[in-house]
Amino acid sequence: MSYVDAGYAIALSTVFVYAISLLVRRRRWDRALTVKESTPDEGAAAAERP
Amino acid sequence: MTTTAPPPNDLVATLPAVPRLRPRRPRWLDVVGILGVIGLAFTVWLGLWVTPPDKFQGNLARLLYIHPAVATVALYWVGIVAAGGSLLYLWPRTRSLFWDRLAASAVEVGAVFAALTLVTGSLWGRPVWGVWWTWDARLTSTALLLLLEIGYLALRRVPADTAVRARRCAVAALLIAVDIPIVHFSVDWWNTLHQGGTFIDPGFQIHASASMSWTFLLGFVAFSLVFVWLLGVRYQVEVLQDAVGDEELEVSLAERWSEDTELIGAGTSARPPSGPTESGGAS
Amino acid sequence: MWHDAVLVAGKDLRIEARSRVGLWQVVPFAVLVLVLLAFAIGPSQSELRHAAPGIFWVALLFSTVLAIQRSVAVESGEGTRDGLRLSGIDPAGIFLGKAAAVGLQLLALQLVLWALVTFLFDVRVQVVWLAAVACLLATVGLACAGVLYGALSAGLRVRDTLLPLLVLPVLAPVLLAGSKIWQAALSGNVSSGTQWLKILVPFAVIYLIVGIVLYGPLQEAA
Repeated sequence: MSYVDAGYAIALSTVFVYAISLLVRRRRWDRALTVKESTPDEGAAAAERP
Repeated sequence: MTTTAPPPNDLVATLPAVPRLRPRRPRWLDVVGILGVIGLAFTVWLGLWVTPPDKFQGNLARLLYIHPAVATVALYWVGIVAAGGSLLYLWPRTRSLFWDRLAASAVEVGAVFAALTLVTGSLWGRPVWGVWWTWDARLTSTALLLLLEIGYLALRRVPADTAVRARRCAVAALLIAVDIPIVHFSVDWWNTLHQGGTFIDPGFQIHASASMSWTFLLGFVAFSLVFVWLLGVRYQVEVLQDAVGDEELEVSLAERWSEDTELIGAGTSARPPSGPTESGGAS
Repeated sequence: MWHDAVLVAGKDLRIEARSRVGLWQVVPFAVLVLVLLAFAIGPSQSELRHAAPGIFWVALLFSTVLAIQRSVAVESGEGTRDGLRLSGIDPAGIFLGKAAAVGLQLLALQLVLWALVTFLFDVRVQVVWLAAVACLLATVGLACAGVLYGALSAGLRVRDTLLPLLVLPVLAPVLLAGSKIWQAALSGNVSSGTQWLKILVPFAVIYLIVGIVLYGPLQEAA
């Protein structure tokens, strides 16, 4: 594989992977926010403190 | 006959609606993203197949459709947004968490692009200079920028009140913005003194035909659009994180505490053991 | 003892996996040391190539101090160390577990440093087994001595400045031997390197044994 091909491949895949990871993170936090909003009890999500 | 206050749930129901925590998802952002992807696709097609090889560099010049565009994003667009956002946050009249979050998003996207700049730069430099790496001003300052950005991101993860964190990170970002030109200048001087003259870069001879120039420009535009989209989505993630944030913080702090005491199982003892006579000795 | 060691090592590694301090702070720090040393030694490629082995080991040593500080810090919470002591876990097991966790992190770091030194300083390891053996032996020594001295300075207010001062001179033989072995590994001259293994092996063994023996008493005293 030539340097040029490698360069294009790395550049495109990095941007692509990062973009996907951002979309995944956005969905995950959005879901977390939905869960939090629908839970009336504030202490529901907190773990037990030592 | 006692009058009791209404139970909390009723009270909550009578409160006015809580302001929206969710970030807006503007349509224009998705359009920018799609245009960016299309632009990238065309850049790749033009860059790899349609444009002719360069007179001096041959096929290697094709990397110049990618590398300078990525570098411009990493150094200039990111710099403007991160430094500008930080300034606007610190300035009392324009203070808003929007700028802080925008700056932080720019730094993270910037780190990705800085790493990409280094990689594409090395790939281009290896056949041209014969080495993977050279300590010239451009590469070295970009490397240092990446390290500083990682430091910023580490700083941002330290749990703190939102306003405190914002101020701290804004100052950090501005210090980085001030530092990079200084580093660039000193490394440049360091190199030229050693070489005893100006550093002639053998790689930058290029005979640009029309199609090459257009592809070059397209690359810039495409990556810039992609940057804007990435910035936008990262910003949305930041807002969501903060919205969920306070509770998550308590949870993860509690988790971390419990990891320390996991093995012990019980709560921690307030008083240290009195010495060898303590019955809880090791087996 | 061994079971306890696995338990403690697992705990430390899990904390690291969750907090990722090693990845995001120790590794960038090591890279920073590489860059700073490159600045110090000058733009001349030949000088940098010559200095590369030393640079690798200095970066590793400084990063080891950081890793040790982190290893001590995870138990600096209120009463945590006492709790660990009262839990009935064999102190030698704690020592081995912590040393193993630190050691694994150091090994991962060395892989990264190896790649970076190759890349940044334009050198190539000719005799891979020699360099690898040196790294493995050194890691054992670094981890054991490090955790031991970490325990020595734990709980002290001046821990952060005291630990480097105490442990770096102790680790100096590793730096010496390691650099020499790597010089040999880079140039291909095996014989000049293998004799330095005679320092790394006793170092590792001694600190392993001393750690197992002394860690318990140290914990009592802290």
